[in-house]
Amino acid sequence: MNKYYSWLILAALIIVVAILPKPLVISPTASVIVTILLGIALVWVLVLTIRGHLIGRRVVFLFIGASLTLPFFMNFEMPIKVSPEVKILYDALAKLPPGSKVLAAFDYDPPSAPELQPQADAFMAYAFKHDLKVIIMGLWPQGPQQANMSIDKVLQYPEIRAKNPKYGVDYVNLGFQSGNEFVIQRMGSSFRGMFPRDIYNTDYDKIPLLNGVENFSNIDFVFNLSSGYPGTVEWVQIAVDRYGVKVGAGNTAVQAPSVYPYLSSRKLTGLAGGMSGAWQFEQATQQPGKASTYVLPQTFSHTVVIAFIIIGNAALMVSYRRSKRGEA
Amino acid sequence: MDGAVISTWLAALLTLGIMSFVYKDNLYYKICEAIFIGISAGYWFITYFWDSLYRIAWIGVVHEGRYVLLGGVVLGAMMLMRLFGKIGWIARWPLAFIVGATAGLKMMVYFTTNAMAQIHGTVDDTMVAFGGGDLYDLIGRLVILIGTVTGLIYFYFSKEHKGLFGGVAKVGTWFLMITFGASFGYTVMSRMSLLLGRIEFLLTDWLKLVK
Amino acid sequence: MLALLRIAKSIVFISSLLFVISILPTHSVYSRDTSPSSSDLGPITVRAFDTDNDAGGSITVEWDDPGYERLSGFAGFLVWRTNTLTGTSDSVEVTPFGTRTYDDRSVSDDSTYSYSVAALVNGERLMSTPSMQVRSSKQWFDGRLTWVLILGLIICGAVIYFIESAKRGTKLFLRRIAGLEAIDEAVGRATEMGRPILFVAGIQDMDDVQTIAGLTILGSIARTVAEYDTKINMPVRASLVMTAARETIKHAYVTAGRPDAYNDDMVHYVTDEQFGFVAAVDGIMVRERPAACFFLGAFFAESLIMAETGNSIGAIQVAGTAMPAQLPFFVAACDYTLIGEELFAASAYLSGEPRQLGSLKGADVGKAIAMIVILVGVIATTIASAWNSESMLWIENLLRQMFSTG
Repeated sequence: MNKYYSWLILAALIIVVAILPKPLVISPTASVIVTILLGIALVWVLVLTIRGHLIGRRVVFLFIGASLTLPFFMNFEMPIKVSPEVKILYDALAKLPPGSKVLAAFDYDPPSAPELQPQADAFMAYAFKHDLKVIIMGLWPQGPQQANMSIDKVLQYPEIRAKNPKYGVDYVNLGFQSGNEFVIQRMGSSFRGMFPRDIYNTDYDKIPLLNGVENFSNIDFVFNLSSGYPGTVEWVQIAVDRYGVKVGAGNTAVQAPSVYPYLSSRKLTGLAGGMSGAWQFEQATQQPGKASTYVLPQTFSHTVVIAFIIIGNAALMVSYRRSKRGEA
Repeated sequence: MDGAVISTWLAALLTLGIMSFVYKDNLYYKICEAIFIGISAGYWFITYFWDSLYRIAWIGVVHEGRYVLLGGVVLGAMMLMRLFGKIGWIARWPLAFIVGATAGLKMMVYFTTNAMAQIHGTVDDTMVAFGGGDLYDLIGRLVILIGTVTGLIYFYFSKEHKGLFGGVAKVGTWFLMITFGASFGYTVMSRMSLLLGRIEFLLTDWLKLVK
Repeated sequence: MLALLRIAKSIVFISSLLFVISILPTHSVYSRDTSPSSSDLGPITVRAFDTDNDAGGSITVEWDDPGYERLSGFAGFLVWRTNTLTGTSDSVEVTPFGTRTYDDRSVSDDSTYSYSVAALVNGERLMSTPSMQVRSSKQWFDGRLTWVLILGLIICGAVIYFIESAKRGTKLFLRRIAGLEAIDEAVGRATEMGRPILFVAGIQDMDDVQTIAGLTILGSIARTVAEYDTKINMPVRASLVMTAARETIKHAYVTAGRPDAYNDDMVHYVTDEQFGFVAAVDGIMVRERPAACFFLGAFFAESLIMAETGNSIGAIQVAGTAMPAQLPFFVAACDYTLIGEELFAASAYLSGEPRQLGSLKGADVGKAIAMIVILVGVIATTIASAWNSESMLWIENLLRQMFSTG
């Protein structure tokens, strides 16, 4: 019977999805009601737990799923405060005069795209709008492709389409190079040595933007998007410490805590960490994008996680009490 | 049906397959897992082949005459020697080269960036806090100072953790645990973001429920 | 009472002084009304020299301003460069207000240059006389890093000293790492239950020292495994790790006198793709249900996924990594975690290998130096700022200089 239950639920879900209006938008009043219902359900789980009925992990998954899905249809405005780390990053970009050369290192792959792609989009849009020259590279094989996706997207923005940035003049994609931090080390003396050709196999010397770009001395700022190794840590350790270039970074939330020490030692010029960092970066650069749509579901899910931490602790106390009684 | 629709459906079905692990391990998940592993292994093989063997070794050496790259090619070939039982020991030489070169590069950068710059930063921050700044700032920097010193004591292996030394190390453990808690919070955010990315894909590109 | 009166008097005096200073018409000092005209001003003196402590390709230009910045209509200083070998000249940069120095990083070490600086006033260029000829060059020794060299030598010296001591048989004291008992317990439990052990040495290659530490501990575990005849399963993400791990386990089986029981399939390559690897390890855990899982090495985002799955199948789990971002998950989801350097300490402790023991003791010297410097620095700063002590200020500045890395 249990087996048929799950199939029935699945079939019902398919029917509901099929008959729902597309796109689905819930009115603000309905959004408030849904939020209150979610809150009541959580309180009910807490009460159940205190009474000694422990819930299964699938219920937790269900709540997380609901908290991540429902807000997509809701209509709420979220207040925003740009953190000092993101502000430093934005200020560093804002200080660059038009024509400055920015090296954008895309060191991540599709699994980390939800957190880093919004930052990439915001950065590319900002760079094109403010006439910064962007040199793209990747220490991760899929990084330069992520960059191209981002460029394709921002080139559709009317303001940027009007500017019509040209490949080879306003931006260039040097592609991936294997060798991890050794690539950065070698770039300290010669970019050409590491990237004799760009991603489309054009010779380095035939690309107008790269005229006079020998090494980090000719780069005004490095923007690194990183989700692990090699990434921001390596850029700071080599590009900043050895070659004195300024590096700002966008990181996945998992990675962000490990680069915070570089902020306090002032080796890293600004950091946008995870989805909230991406959202703040979008706000600071005034390029609202995907992160701004993600932020409501993210907030809901965080609230649910906090609620379950409380519920989990209640469950722990209940089991302590039970074991004490058992001992007695 | 055009290519985009097929690829969206394929991506959606594979996403759901991997997500089904949340319910329990099942055949659908196993199929998706096998596809993922197979494709990723193939992808890496192709990437390395075109990027390292073709772009660097073949074009670099044969077409551009950068014979210095031959050194790398030879080391790479030596690495493959472990396929041949008796001369398998040759594979250790390129390994030694990699370990040695990385250690050389990393020793310096870790020493300057992770050790010296951090010590400088800790002392400097305290100087700044004493020189001016508000009370919260001062407290914040003092916490960093105490955390750094007690953390170092926790990782000091030449003395048993007993008496006063043990007590200070215990404070270090507390600092570590609080740091881990903060870090955990960040990761919850990261995991939610990844899931969010997939849910958004399902709702927007696949089901068209969100614009 | 008298002292209080004196303090009150000084406060009144200082306050009045501050008040007078605050109402002084400060703007008159730089008033444009009284500014000289460009003809009144002397020439700009320019000095160009090779930038110190660099890898060449850079010349620093410095100039003094006889007062052009105060002229109305001043737009900036233009740095003008002449390649004295080819005779070609070009403008390099217009510097912003208040700048008296420019680092020209677009020069070649093969040419000589001379520089002029022009004040741009009302569209006119008031050019200085050219500087002396100068050529950029690279320096073999970066003077700013002298203290890095000295401190590096002290720590490396300590490492070598301790390694040599250990080799000579001196017993080096290392505190017992609590996690080591947990490792033995986990292997014991797997044996009792007749279920396999899962070992993951991180997801990095052999060039990461954490992988090497993981494999050293694997050696010790594999010896116990061989003695008890327990099964071990080790999926790897990097091919080099596979070879090294196979050799480690083989060696352990030979040492335990069970070479026949060793099998290459104990260690198997999965994929280089991070999450592909995780999916596979998760699959193995759920299907084979190992009694004990070891995660010892460098981990990234996969740490929690693996540790959570291991937890859900009820395996006893021991983890160890020096990746700060991943430690929280291991601490939360595993039975015991070797935190950071404890991984290396455990590896050194288990192997008793002089090089590992010596490195750890040498690193302890580094930590002792760091603690002393931080504490002395902070005390010196406190005293210097509270009592204006010159000697403390000197210590503070010395430390600042010592630990500055450019």
